[in-house]
Amino acid sequence: MNGPMTYEDLASLMKSRAGTPVEPADLASRSASPFGDFGLDSLGLLGVISELENRYGCSIDGEPEAHKSPGALLALVNDRVSAGA
Amino acid sequence: MSGRKTAAAGRPAVVTGLGVVAPNGIGTETFWKALLRGEAVLGPVSREGCTDLPLRVAGEVHGFDADALIESRYVVQTDRFTHFAMAAADLALEDARLRADPEKPYAIGVATAAGSGGGEFGQGELQRLWGEGPQFVGPYQSIAWFYAASTGQLSIRGGFRGPCAVLVNDEAGGLDVFGHACRSIRQGTDAVLTGATEAPLAPYSMVCQLGYPELSLAEDPERAYLPFTRDACGFSPAEGGAMFTLEAEHVARDRGAPIRAVVAGHAATFTGTGDWELSRPGLARAIQGALEEADCAPDEVDAVFADALGVPAADRAEALALGDALGRRAAEVPVTAPKTGFGRAYSAASTLDVAAAVLALEHGVIPATPNITEAHHDLDLVTGSARSSPMRTVLVLSRGLMGHNSALVLRRAGGYRL
Repeated sequence: MNGPMTYEDLASLMKSRAGTPVEPADLASRSASPFGDFGLDSLGLLGVISELENRYGCSIDGEPEAHKSPGALLALVNDRVSAGA
Repeated sequence: MSGRKTAAAGRPAVVTGLGVVAPNGIGTETFWKALLRGEAVLGPVSREGCTDLPLRVAGEVHGFDADALIESRYVVQTDRFTHFAMAAADLALEDARLRADPEKPYAIGVATAAGSGGGEFGQGELQRLWGEGPQFVGPYQSIAWFYAASTGQLSIRGGFRGPCAVLVNDEAGGLDVFGHACRSIRQGTDAVLTGATEAPLAPYSMVCQLGYPELSLAEDPERAYLPFTRDACGFSPAEGGAMFTLEAEHVARDRGAPIRAVVAGHAATFTGTGDWELSRPGLARAIQGALEEADCAPDEVDAVFADALGVPAADRAEALALGDALGRRAAEVPVTAPKTGFGRAYSAASTLDVAAAVLALEHGVIPATPNITEAHHDLDLVTGSARSSPMRTVLVLSRGLMGHNSALVLRRAGGYRL
């Protein structure tokens, strides 16, 4: 994965890692809603985050609040990636 | 053994729904038609990574499309044995027209047996661990391979918050879950979703089985699993299984659900490993206990679904145990083992026998024992073609490779079907 992470990337990971199908546009329009509202539980989110860490080769830590919603996770990941670049 | 009479306890448990995912058919109708035809579907092991192992013959479930049957999150998050459980549970629940009532979330429980767990899922994650590193292991490894995974996921998925359990006592567990579910029902639970499914045909799981001396390594599917014959050379494993809805009789009647069979008695014993002769008194005692609980005389047993391990010493012990427990009735009661056509699915093997037994009671037909022409024991083994016979009572037997012996008595809901 190159460049900043998008809602398309996130939707694709939610499908492949946790079997949770979701439209990228839905993630974008409700980007502040908790992941649970999209059907993704905490284990699923863990899987998505570890896959992102493996792909971008960086650690995505931070407070749990920072992973709570699609918008927050995207901002955090893109922040980490640009900091590491 | 509970020693308590089911009927006397005032809350008899009845079967109101069945769901089958078997090597000889997915869905109860398909399964029953295959049993009536005496279809033999044992074949070469074809699953990926399994074709170069010494175990050559098994009963695979072909044409099972998990993506078409269950939600994608469960396809990704659980193993094939849980996929089977969900598909079979859906069929059983649909058959019984039973679903969780949000007003009474604790009225329905789940009890499954498991002997193999999620071996395929576990292997995939362990390969990532050693091939790529710990950070590549997915979080669902923490739950998917456990024996308890199917019970837990069925409970979550269906909203069944009543008593939940998983029995891990190898093959006999498939009958013991009925005893367990009956106890839950006696104690006040309305219904229990019960049964077992297994998916042991994956590389890691198959290598584990190679340590069983009872496993048949024969290459000819028609000769690999021949219990009760002079050519018996072990058993062929299988995957799949069956799920059932078991309900308190009055609950089923109140909601107008058709009663398909009554679970009249169950008993279990344990006689340890290493010597199949020891299973003779153990199995005989289990049969006696189950008949006693059912208040059933040996002469009332209309058919026996045998354990039929396919190991000469074990087959002899089973035939003798039937004689010990049933007396003169043992030589004349029809005995069948339809699993010779599709293999032994470990703890799910006896649940497929229960499904076959319920259907046999309903139709008044005893399916045959495929691939076998003559029994080398003093038994009336049903061979060749299915046999019409009005039945009220059927005895189902199971033994585990680790020494568990179990017997279950099923009765027709009404009188004879003539």
